[in-house]
Amino acid sequence: MTDGVSLNNLNVVYSDKRVLQELTANLGASRLTALIGPNGSGKSTLLRAMAGLIPYEGSLTLGDREIRRWTRRELGRKVGFLPQNGSVTFPFVACDLIDLGRLPRRRAFQIRTGRDDGATVRAARAVGVEPLLFRSMKELSGGESQRVMIAMLLNQDPDLFLLDEPTSSLDPGQAVAVLSLFRRLTQRGKTVVVAAHDINGVLTWADSVMALKKGRLLFHGAPADLTGANLEGIYDTPFTAYRSEKGETLWHASSP
Amino acid sequence: MERSCQRERELTDYRRRRTGRFLLLLAFMAVLLLVVSLVRVTSGDWEIPPLRALALLFGVIDGKGSPELLVVRTLRLPRLLAAVGAGGALATSGVVLQGVLSNPLAEPYTLGIASGAAFGASVGFFLGGPWITPASFLGAFGALWLVWILASRCGGATTAHLVLAGIIVNAFLSAGVTLLKALADDRLGAIVLWLMGGFSGAAKESAFAVWLGGALVLLPALGAAHELDALSIGEERGTLLGIEERRLRLILLATSALATALTVSHFGIIGFVGLVAPHLLRIFLGPRHLPLLLASFLGGGTLLAAADGMAQKLGELPVGVITALLGGPVFCWILLRGSRP
Repeated sequence: MTDGVSLNNLNVVYSDKRVLQELTANLGASRLTALIGPNGSGKSTLLRAMAGLIPYEGSLTLGDREIRRWTRRELGRKVGFLPQNGSVTFPFVACDLIDLGRLPRRRAFQIRTGRDDGATVRAARAVGVEPLLFRSMKELSGGESQRVMIAMLLNQDPDLFLLDEPTSSLDPGQAVAVLSLFRRLTQRGKTVVVAAHDINGVLTWADSVMALKKGRLLFHGAPADLTGANLEGIYDTPFTAYRSEKGETLWHASSP
Repeated sequence: MERSCQRERELTDYRRRRTGRFLLLLAFMAVLLLVVSLVRVTSGDWEIPPLRALALLFGVIDGKGSPELLVVRTLRLPRLLAAVGAGGALATSGVVLQGVLSNPLAEPYTLGIASGAAFGASVGFFLGGPWITPASFLGAFGALWLVWILASRCGGATTAHLVLAGIIVNAFLSAGVTLLKALADDRLGAIVLWLMGGFSGAAKESAFAVWLGGALVLLPALGAAHELDALSIGEERGTLLGIEERRLRLILLATSALATALTVSHFGIIGFVGLVAPHLLRIFLGPRHLPLLLASFLGGGTLLAAADGMAQKLGELPVGVITALLGGPVFCWILLRGSRP
């Protein structure tokens, strides 16, 4: 059983600009929460605050402890963050990058063992990059490097996964595979927050939806409760609902 | 299950083969360093046959009072050791700075550390001999501190901000050195020559100082090699992997500054070693820091010892001229190679 995340009157201020305003919500443990909203609505900022990367006002707790009270190393074991920019400055070989995910759990001067190699292979297989293990990152396509970065995150094995546009450079098949993988992880007790623009992609897999606009919380509830009016309020454009053969609700944005 | 075990074995084999290749490269570099060293110790105005030089050095022949032994012991050996130590310190500083800042173009100069050390040492030169080294320390740390403060104040100590701040501090301090040169009138010649960099007349104590600098930057970096890997991936990556990024950065930047100050204050500004050695070695070793740090120390030392030999052959040219002449084209080649699709 892992810990949920609670926001209580959360504010984030960047050089006098309030980027997140009075957010109060409870992101339950072992759930996949979709974080949606227009560009600049504060999705990435909220994820960065949850990862302990930026200072905040108000309360933001992981389990029963404020994020700012966790040490960096503790956060490295508890929270895994997939940033939007997945580029790598130096051309590491994929297996070395995936192996770095174990860093928060490794003691100083601890030697790598066969068990670490096993973990690397398992993480790579989960996102289908096993054949790329010995390839340099500079030879990989955007989608391939993104999946290697996800494998590194899986190898980190945190309780809370924060994913900023994890499927942005993946093809539809891979995107579904990745989202269903994280969905399965929630069944194993992991908490997942996914920020995404592709609302249909993410709503299919989400337990709940949080919608932000201009740093404020506009909607928080089950995907089934989301209405066209909600979405129009969020994105300033009308939405039409369609029902798929499987009975899923799909949203289509049309011109105003 | 079968397939996964096989993949694990492949991975373990791959790592083992890679370690083997690294050890082979290290052995090759050690041999290269020995050859360069032997050439450096035996050749000069007075040629000494290599075997005789070795026999004298290791006491196989009793060379008491022999002028050959005197030349080797008091002139050539300290000079060789100084060049190797300085090269190792500069190349290692380069690797550390590039990793810490996740920036392939970082080295002591980009961050203004070398200019700070040079400015401090110039002030020391003005004040008199014993002040040179401490003033150089102060200059290097002052420049680093200034860069750090500037970068932190304008939006966090991120890579881009650090390098930008480095450029500003660099320009300012270089102007300061030029001003001091203009004011130094009769001592002008000495400052100009010293700033160009060279190992002619290196003393044992100076050689020891740069080896100390090399050890100071190499050992902590080796201890934090995996953390350096994480830092080098990109901004905030280290933090996300549980590293106190600011603290580690500060420690490693400080040791690099110390090593640079020790090198600059004794032997002047010697450019490009911190860029060329690490980048050439990355081609063979990849970007992992554990092998890269060790190989760079060895490679930087060999490179600078060889460059010093060339400088001497060309009539005691400043070694900084040789490293720049060699390093410039190599660096362009690296840049072009990197940008090829």
